[in-house]
Amino acid sequence: MLAAPWVCRSCARSLRSFGIPRPRLLRRASTNGATDPTPGIPPSLLERARKIAAEHDQLSASLEANFDPKTAKRAGEISRVAAALREFERARTGLGELQTLLTSDDAEMRELAQDDLEATKAQLADLGHNLSVALSPKHPFADMPCLIEIHPGPGGTEGRFFADTIFHMYQAYCANKGYRTRVVQYEASDSDGQKGSEGEIALQEAVLEVQEPGAYAAFRGEAGMHRVQRVPATEKSGRTHTSAVAVWVLPSFPENSGPGTASDVENPDSDFYIDPAEVRTETMRARGAGGQHVNKTESAIRLTHMPTGTTVSMQDSRSQASNRVSAWRILRSRIAAQKREAREELTRSMRSSVLSQSQITRGDKIRTYNYQQDRCTDHRSGMDVHNLPDVLAGGGSLNKIMDSVQTWLLDRDIQSVIAEEEAASAGDKKGGK
Amino acid sequence: MPRLRPALFWRARRTVSPLATLILPACRDLASAANELRWMREHIAATPSPMPSKMRLWFMCDQRAKGKPLQYVLGSQPFGHVDIKCRPGVLIPRPETEAYTTELARLLLSTLPPQPSSDSPQPTSLNILDLCSGAGCIALELYAQLQPAAQSGGHALSVLGIDVSRHAVQLARENVAHNARLNLIPGTTTATSPNNNADIRFEQADIFAPDFEERLVSNNQSQTQKSWDVLVSNPPYISSRGFARDTARSVRNHEPRLALTPLQSHKTTTAAATTTTESQQQTIFSSRLEDVFYARILALCQRLRPKRVLLEVGSMQQAARVVDMVAGGGPGLAELYPLQRAEVWRDDPRHDRPDDCRQESVGGREIRVRGFGEGRSVYLCRADV
Repeated sequence: MLAAPWVCRSCARSLRSFGIPRPRLLRRASTNGATDPTPGIPPSLLERARKIAAEHDQLSASLEANFDPKTAKRAGEISRVAAALREFERARTGLGELQTLLTSDDAEMRELAQDDLEATKAQLADLGHNLSVALSPKHPFADMPCLIEIHPGPGGTEGRFFADTIFHMYQAYCANKGYRTRVVQYEASDSDGQKGSEGEIALQEAVLEVQEPGAYAAFRGEAGMHRVQRVPATEKSGRTHTSAVAVWVLPSFPENSGPGTASDVENPDSDFYIDPAEVRTETMRARGAGGQHVNKTESAIRLTHMPTGTTVSMQDSRSQASNRVSAWRILRSRIAAQKREAREELTRSMRSSVLSQSQITRGDKIRTYNYQQDRCTDHRSGMDVHNLPDVLAGGGSLNKIMDSVQTWLLDRDIQSVIAEEEAASAGDKKGGK
Repeated sequence: MPRLRPALFWRARRTVSPLATLILPACRDLASAANELRWMREHIAATPSPMPSKMRLWFMCDQRAKGKPLQYVLGSQPFGHVDIKCRPGVLIPRPETEAYTTELARLLLSTLPPQPSSDSPQPTSLNILDLCSGAGCIALELYAQLQPAAQSGGHALSVLGIDVSRHAVQLARENVAHNARLNLIPGTTTATSPNNNADIRFEQADIFAPDFEERLVSNNQSQTQKSWDVLVSNPPYISSRGFARDTARSVRNHEPRLALTPLQSHKTTTAAATTTTESQQQTIFSSRLEDVFYARILALCQRLRPKRVLLEVGSMQQAARVVDMVAGGGPGLAELYPLQRAEVWRDDPRHDRPDDCRQESVGGREIRVRGFGEGRSVYLCRADV
């Protein structure tokens, strides 16, 4: 396969990235724009955009006649697509004019048109991308704040130490970005002795709430298994260990959500709704006489959502009431995320498209932090960063990785929209959202 | 008390902090030592002081190591929606009390009509009497939970706490101001303004005093003619033997005995009270010493006729004895509070699931029992409510 008899892994990786180009849909679609009648965007998607724009025109016409909040909401949702399409069409007519100028007799005119052509094409590709972005469905939880839960993977102390490192990484990242955060839970395990090499504690479970609206969209790419490869502080013979930390990103409902919104906890249709009868509450009190006989502070509380078996236990505050509130918050977020995931799974199986391969589930490793090579790799976007201390300090390198993941997520969303459209047009079935 | 293994101390030192070894004998296990240490640190961070924080932490741990309850060391205990200041000499609010108070508040909220009814001439009122109020936790929590509904529904809410201890009444009054300052309850400084129809007071009185009933009735009628809707009480209910055997060491050594065990003198004064009949005297003399407060309170109930009564008890056996007292407690008491409507609430009365109620045999009688855990309170409801 390779000419050299032995190649180290990182070199092999760089070789491979030359040999097998990663499928980058957008680039492919935008580079063959010269022959494609609709550069920057596949025809099926453009068809859909036109349909939506037509609907938007119709809706705004009816809104002028008589105002209806429901219609206004829908019009507001799709106005993004209509505006993007308008821009795109304008650029395309511009390109058409330039191409007619190219065939003109005037040499000077031809030269000018030739100069403009490249710039316009690039602009068209950008606008096409914008249109695809506008068409890709917005995540229903995108505007919400989020909870970042950090659980060490199975295995020894090493994973727990690294869980603490990850926790501080996100905390520092939020501080750098100016996001407001709150530590909901930060629980050290008491089973182990020493501290980690950088003074980190062995973490049992931690929950960080990022209170910025839209934090869910920013952090949702972080969910998954984060793998670490390093020589632990406890290791005597200098062997590299591999351990993992699970990060869950859950939508957190804003505290003052009005009725009728998706995050309204009282609305049975909402993802955040939980029937109180399905939750078992346990207060972890020592058995015995109780009452006036004992005065120990026992504020811990455990909630179990019986249909799914999800449990949340909370003992951070001295007040049982506030522990109960926090526990309910986390339980609601977990259940909402589960409901959402189940729904996505359902639509995916119904689509049965190629996309299911690129789906990252909770169990897959998404990122590797390698201390020996001073490297952090994201396995989805294929991004390598060689400044691990900066990544772990939540600096610009982490931002770079997270941006690359955002781009990857967006690409995936667009791809799924295209696949959906193509499937709909090919099967002549009911095209859907 | 079983001996703690030395390995536990080493582990506390290694995993938590050297200070954890100090408080470990008082906390008894590593998890709660770590938690208490964290709460002490949080308390120090939240309350500025000229003293260096390390020194403060050491002092606190030192006190805790000597068995002083954490609530006295930190000076407060959260109780439902309110924050209760704690001080040696006054009983610390318990989580079980919090659980049944929350349940009672839920029950009362469900009975309050949301809007003032147009056909009744005067606005409805809700008068709550808390006997043996201690730090005032039950009264304050009920006030905090009911006040918004009463305000919006146009009901008059009045809460009166009674305790025999001067320290307790003083602390309860401080707690009203403290919670108003923290905005956990609406301030009482505007009590004179006409649109504020809610009121919370604490008074020092001995419920065994011969003129207590007269004072309460006259005091009550002097304002407007009104009746008591709720009587709630967490009286001393531990026997002398139970005090020596069953209570935790920090309870025995640091909390006021007056709030935990009734005295022999209470029994004689109850029996000698002018209003007691022959049969009531019989009941009082035959009852155990730790139940004497219930005898007295039930005698008061006969006079004051509150619509609902909630009494904290120490165990299922004591709950059964209280139910017995109601059944055989003089003329009219059983008719006033029929046993079919009486309930025993356990430690966790499940306020998230209100219909969780079973018929169980309590001391030979079929009584409705609610929730899980040890029997914690007896709930009585007047026949005509």
